[in-house]
Amino acid sequence: MLSDAGAASQLAWLGAAVAALSLVIGMVVGSPAAVHVAVAVLGGLFLTRQDTRLLLAPVYGAGLLLIEDLAIQAIELRGVGGVALDVVTARTANVLAIATIGAGASAAAALAVTAAPGRSVGITALGALAAVAALAVIARLARRRYGPTE
Amino acid sequence: MNASLSPRTPGLIALGGAGLIGALASGHPELALISLPFLIFVTAGLVLAPELRLAVEIELDRTRLLEGEEAVATVRLRNDGAGAVHVELAPARTRQLALAPTEALAINLRPGAQTELTFAARPQRWGAHAVGPLVVRARDSLGLATWDGRLGPRVDLRAFPSEQRLRDLVAPLRTQPFLGTHVARATGEGIEFADIRPFRAGDRARQINWRATARRGAPQVNDRHPEHSSDVVLLIDTFQEARDQTGGTLDAAVRATAGLATAHLARRDRVALVDFGGTLHWLEPAFGTKQLYRIIDALLASDIAFSYAWRNVDSIPLRVLPPGALVLAISPLLDDRSLALVTDLRRRGRDVTVVEVSPLDHVSPGPSGADAVAYRLWRLQREAVRAQLQSVGVGVAEWEREGDLGPALEGVNAFRRSARQAVHA
Repeated sequence: MLSDAGAASQLAWLGAAVAALSLVIGMVVGSPAAVHVAVAVLGGLFLTRQDTRLLLAPVYGAGLLLIEDLAIQAIELRGVGGVALDVVTARTANVLAIATIGAGASAAAALAVTAAPGRSVGITALGALAAVAALAVIARLARRRYGPTE
Repeated sequence: MNASLSPRTPGLIALGGAGLIGALASGHPELALISLPFLIFVTAGLVLAPELRLAVEIELDRTRLLEGEEAVATVRLRNDGAGAVHVELAPARTRQLALAPTEALAINLRPGAQTELTFAARPQRWGAHAVGPLVVRARDSLGLATWDGRLGPRVDLRAFPSEQRLRDLVAPLRTQPFLGTHVARATGEGIEFADIRPFRAGDRARQINWRATARRGAPQVNDRHPEHSSDVVLLIDTFQEARDQTGGTLDAAVRATAGLATAHLARRDRVALVDFGGTLHWLEPAFGTKQLYRIIDALLASDIAFSYAWRNVDSIPLRVLPPGALVLAISPLLDDRSLALVTDLRRRGRDVTVVEVSPLDHVSPGPSGADAVAYRLWRLQREAVRAQLQSVGVGVAEWEREGDLGPALEGVNAFRRSARQAVHA
């Protein structure tokens, strides 16, 4: 048990270093993809935590969203000579508000998870269907607003 | 403005999707819970993203200035859309127009808000420059959508060439019968003493030279040269130019032409302009300040137009070349067509002088020995051209970019005096 905890700790440190490196590379090179890799690694690292994962996951997710947005803002404002203060504060406040709503929704989902029956093929298939539907709705929304026009 | 998704948006959707799929595959619902804020963020951003409606006005504190001077551009930006937008903007800069600040500015505009920004615009070269439209990148308040493009009107900023201040000009051989400042070769009413001659009926008593009368025993009068104006045709050669990063011969030629036009018009001369190059433009001779503005406006449009067309004197309308006019050809002497024109004009009896805008400032020999030989040959060839022009009676004022044009013109005057003596001899 002790050695498992030690390995998990080592893995967490290694993952954090990889994420930090990826974040720094993303910000230096100006690549949102590298920032997203860092966020994905940090998200995966959450699984190395042994306890209170369901409780902390919504806050963790909101925190990751905030980190991603701040890193992207840093990339977007590279090469801009004069930045008005409210450019950063207004957007960060907006992202914080949405992240809070997202954390709330996530917490509600966590409650639903605790009340849900055990894992089964049917529930997994239903979940997969819901995930695909959600992604399809988002993709369609994006395409309709900003996709190529015919 | 082109609307598109921000490069981060597909990544955010992918993160959300990966969380959901990872949760399903691994049986860890925490991954789905972590990804939920991302998916909600993207969905909210896409649903709430506003239509971009930005209004841009650009105003210059002055629209005409001398090259090297500075104008202040005030940009008013208004958000007429329903949502807040984050705008990065910069004026579209060109090689010839320096703008400060040089980097883009980022501002946040709430719905209905208006902001005012100022830019300093400094033309590096004479000509008509455009301030605006602005290069704009706008983002929605969550940074999920971007709009790129140019926005706003084009406001013209005309930079006039900085003039050469000239004290001495090329003295014309022939003058016109209008009051001016050139001492005419004929005798008449004037200030400059010409000769003493016997009194004739009709001469005024004040013209009598009493000393000469006492010495000769018969009334003698002073003859004087009247002050007349002259016709000047400024012929700018736009066939070819030598150019490097610091500028070109056309820039200097335009400055010299503007300086000559100003100086001759100030001396009450009638000045015409011929832009002789790939395209032919001209202004008929006229007096005064209006003509100066016409000439400078025409010079701003001067450009090198590549052409194979062989033009000669017949291409120029006769009314632009009045008889007895002094033709000042401002040329780098790089194109055979302009050389042929100058020679042809002289052979037709025109009073022609060449202001040679030296291309040597813009040309340097290459690194190899052969390059150095070629450069020396080219310089010799130029000297031969100059000698050939002088042999037909065309004075050549060699003007280097950094130098003053006045001494070069004085050199031409000396040549013209000696050339006339040679003709008389």
